[in-house]
Amino acid sequence: MDTLSYMRRFGTFAFVAILQILFLNRIALFGYVTPLFYIWMIARFDNYMKRTGMLLWAFFLGLVLDIFSGTPGLNAASATLLAMFQPAILKLFVSVERHDQLFPGSASMGGHQFAGYLLLLTVLHHTVYFILRSIPLADWSVLVLKVVFSSLATFLFMIVADYVTKSSASKR
Amino acid sequence: MRSLLDFIVRHSYVFLFILLETLSLVLLFGFNDRQKVAFMTSANSLSGSIFELRSGVDGYFNLHHENAILVEENARLRSMLYELTDSQTVDSARNMSSDGVIAARVVDNSVRKDDNYMTIDKGLLDGVEKGMGVYNSIGVIGVVMASGQRYSLVMPILNGNSSISSKIKGTDNFGFLEWMGGDPYTAQLRDVPYHSAVEVGDTVVTTGFSSVFPENITIGTVSDVQRSSNGYTLKIMVNLAVDLSDLGWAYVHSKTVDPEIVELQKKSTK
Repeated sequence: MDTLSYMRRFGTFAFVAILQILFLNRIALFGYVTPLFYIWMIARFDNYMKRTGMLLWAFFLGLVLDIFSGTPGLNAASATLLAMFQPAILKLFVSVERHDQLFPGSASMGGHQFAGYLLLLTVLHHTVYFILRSIPLADWSVLVLKVVFSSLATFLFMIVADYVTKSSASKR
Repeated sequence: MRSLLDFIVRHSYVFLFILLETLSLVLLFGFNDRQKVAFMTSANSLSGSIFELRSGVDGYFNLHHENAILVEENARLRSMLYELTDSQTVDSARNMSSDGVIAARVVDNSVRKDDNYMTIDKGLLDGVEKGMGVYNSIGVIGVVMASGQRYSLVMPILNGNSSISSKIKGTDNFGFLEWMGGDPYTAQLRDVPYHSAVEVGDTVVTTGFSSVFPENITIGTVSDVQRSSNGYTLKIMVNLAVDLSDLGWAYVHSKTVDPEIVELQKKSTK
């Protein structure tokens, strides 16, 4: 990976971490909805990226969030798991013939495919995250509500982020 | 042998994945409560300064609200001052002077977890220590749980381990206020004897028994009274006075306990 793309990745890391710690962690609409937008970074991993690299980036992103949220291991575990399954999920939404380098986004994949990809990523991550967070599991209905509504919130944030990156890329 | 090595190299990411997940889960489940606090306070000097930055920004948006509360408090203090000059004796003034109040800003806060914690921007250097009570002009917030040099971790009422000695205002019926999780505006007062005359709307205040809080700091109002399952005590639901999700400034109560009381307590526990 060249220096420029490395720097860019580090920029994304800092951006999602700061946004999550300073603002999004404080949102708790109706006690259920907390957008975990930081997984945007993992959603943007391209298909040429080394898998060990993906795991390490995700793990450290989770760890940094954990340190600032007082939840040791929670974000690290769920983000690492997501990074492990991201390539497989990406494959589901990209046609088999494509072998070029692909940066996931609505511009490169098409709106519907990208939305499906994001939704699946989000639900997987949030399910793991909220199960780990509410151990010992006492109230399944609350857990399901948290997963559903927080997934929707995260999804909306990522759609906006996609729109912003797309329009800023087209201006360049 | 060669193919085995190949296999391991090609799938090294699987081993890395297992390693990282194990590490995360050890972190998640390995930290028992006390270690968790140590982890959080050691991170506090770093995260504390970042939280402070954030609450600095937030602070501007809440200025109007904070001002209103301060004005109200000023008015109340002023009226107390007049009463004091009118009627209080020199002796009670002497007692009050041993109670110190340290103003602190709440820089991080949560209300939606099962065990909530807060961070305030005063620590050992400012005289804040473990076990001191935290309240604001409206009512009780919680108790200091651990102090770093510049920041302290507070266990608010909204924490499963919190238990605050409380009574019904104007009576001597006391019990312990605990939080059952869920609703961040309601807590439960337990161990009040069932023959006590408690009514919906009564005010719940601190007892001052433990020197954590001064006496008669408001905690909330009674919203429901039931006989508890053991039949001897009441189960009293309390609407908390302070909205713990909306905190700016707080006071830390630092009481220098009379050495004679400490001596007596030591004797009795021997």
